Amino acid sequence: MAHVSLRQVSKRFGAVNAIRELSLDIRDREFFVLLGPTGAGKSTTLRCIAGLEQPEAGDVCIAEQRVNDWSAAQRDVALVFQQYSLYPNYTVRENLAFPLKSRLRNFTPAQIEERVAKAAATVRITHLLERRTDRLSGGEMQRVSIGRAIVREPRVFLMDEPLSNLDAKLRELLRAELKGLQQGLATTLIFVTHDQVEAMTMGDRIGLMNKGSLVQVGTPHEIYNRPKNSFVASFVGTPAINMFDVRVDLAAGRATDGALTFDLSEATRHTLSSLALPADGCVRIGVRPEDVRLVDSGGMAGSLYGAEHHGAEIVAIVQSGSHMLRATIPADSRVAVNQPLQFSFVQDKLHFFHPLTGENLRH
Amino acid sequence: MADIEVIDAEKRFGANHVIRKLNLHIRDGEFVVLLGPSGCGKTTTLRALAGLESIDSGEIRIKGRRVDHLPPQQRDTAFVFQLYSLYPHLTSYDNIAFPLRAAGRHEAEVKKQVTDVARVLRIEHLLAKRPSALAGGDLQRVTIGRALVRRPEAMLMDEPIGALDAKLREEMRAELRRLHVENGSTTVYVTHDQVEAMSMADRIGIMNDGVLQQYDSPTTVYDTPANLFVAQFVGSPIMNVVDCRCQAGAMGTEVRLAGMVDPFVLPASAAAALAGHSSEALALGIRPEAIGVALSAAAGHVQARVHLIEPLGAYDIVDIAVGDTTLRARTPSQFVRAQGDAVWIRLDHARTHFFDKTSGRRLKAGS
Repeated sequence: MAHVSLRQVSKRFGAVNAIRELSLDIRDREFFVLLGPTGAGKSTTLRCIAGLEQPEAGDVCIAEQRVNDWSAAQRDVALVFQQYSLYPNYTVRENLAFPLKSRLRNFTPAQIEERVAKAAATVRITHLLERRTDRLSGGEMQRVSIGRAIVREPRVFLMDEPLSNLDAKLRELLRAELKGLQQGLATTLIFVTHDQVEAMTMGDRIGLMNKGSLVQVGTPHEIYNRPKNSFVASFVGTPAINMFDVRVDLAAGRATDGALTFDLSEATRHTLSSLALPADGCVRIGVRPEDVRLVDSGGMAGSLYGAEHHGAEIVAIVQSGSHMLRATIPADSRVAVNQPLQFSFVQDKLHFFHPLTGENLRH
Repeated sequence: MADIEVIDAEKRFGANHVIRKLNLHIRDGEFVVLLGPSGCGKTTTLRALAGLESIDSGEIRIKGRRVDHLPPQQRDTAFVFQLYSLYPHLTSYDNIAFPLRAAGRHEAEVKKQVTDVARVLRIEHLLAKRPSALAGGDLQRVTIGRALVRRPEAMLMDEPIGALDAKLREEMRAELRRLHVENGSTTVYVTHDQVEAMSMADRIGIMNDGVLQQYDSPTTVYDTPANLFVAQFVGSPIMNVVDCRCQAGAMGTEVRLAGMVDPFVLPASAAAALAGHSSEALALGIRPEAIGVALSAAAGHVQARVHLIEPLGAYDIVDIAVGDTTLRARTPSQFVRAQGDAVWIRLDHARTHFFDKTSGRRLKAGS
């Protein structure tokens, strides 16, 4: 059992607050992703759990024990970094065996061999065992790094952008492999990334960080569909969510910013009337590209600014007044640049944010 | 305005054969993207067009005129690099004006041209600022402004937005494409990012190992890839490519993936391409969105099991185990409920491809 929790953890580097009073509970056997932009504090958080950084305040607990004063080795966690950090002059087998040879562990050669064989099979590098690590491709090296973490059978895996150096195709393959691996091993895994696709596809839950704080913790579905604020909404999803400010007139059942005007559906009016709207009626609308529809009639007017083929679909960029809105449309749609068109929103999918604080008004 | 022709071009760096017998015709006003992994020869090709690299044999023609022996400045092309090579001590205005002043143009003309270009690129408000005061996207706009202001015959761009963050790249993609629509200059753009290539190009030239693999529109490249390399380089999630065995059956062609008992049945016409190819040499390719997924038994479907669900928000990618094979399918968000669930799948025969594993070539129906 390796439940990991942080209580009011703070860490500063000089004048910079890398993380501030961060509290977080990661469940046993969970695949937990720390997601955020550069400088959000996600790697620092991971390093505090690993024992590579000492927080100034707060408790770091693994399996209900406070481990602040434990060394990295005593914590029994395994780290995988973006850089492979393998011993270049050694074979894959020697690299895998290395963590087991520590006198503290007291393994017999037979036990070591058994564990190495098992780990190698798990990450599918059995055929590479006798090869020197400087003769491996990037994907193979990262498999060996993960194998070296597995071989110790640690209580917790900590991974810091392990896929970022790999090309797109390999990243996609390893993503699924890593998730399958974690489920098979049934070990808690904490994964740091700035890539929202990795976070969405792998995480049981995601903790989205910004400027040293956790902004939202939730399942990928919650993060995508119920973002706590406009930062979360913009950070996940590609193409990015469309956002613009409107003034809502509930009595007239309309929302407008002068250039763009649309009628509110009965349900949307009902939703908005139950929310604490800013006094001036200004609301920031968020609408995902898949919830913008091109329609034949009765929609808002715009023109096609550009169209991007993405294979499985087309991303239409619609210009309406000063707005550029992205709409995901079927791959076989026939559209031409500059053509006039009409569009509407799937109203039950609209997000409403406070235009100043960015908070989701429904939360 | 200019068309560009590359005829039988070859280039070696020592023992390294970086461009092999390259033939490429870029039409006047066309936006062509050269796409491929690092080391495929795309950047060398671009540099050869610009005159920054010589070719060992073959010809390069711009607007019908042979240029491969000419120095860069006589080719009338403009080059935009990934790194913003701006002069740090000059304002944006002076950076953009630089090539015009170097050519000895009058200040009045310089002013008009710089202002015109700045308006198109929407950087008028940045003209008084120095590069150090600009953000990444703005820097790249100024760099592009400096390339455009000379009104070159051709724009050559080497991963111009590769260093920007994801969101900015998304914006710049649309703007670069739009700029091309308005300005119409022949553009050759190099990238390793298939999303950029798909979303911006009129035609994509996909290179691997110095060889042009396919040269077609984004939809053609995506829907009918010439070979396995193209099939798996373009598109995300990647096209499924799996071993298969085919045999004629009563209802059509029976296709079995490794470990499958009940086959997928494709119309006999879909399998016409397979005539004369032994099963051992065949691979089946199908894009995730061309796999139909049902939650209960349905005609023409084969039973399978959900191995893994990868939610992407707008949709899910579902790894589905069928026999000993795993296929990735694209489904609406939360369509499949849980790992381990039984599902029933079918292959859209119009979008099922067969490849010769030895040559890598896609087998065309009826050939």
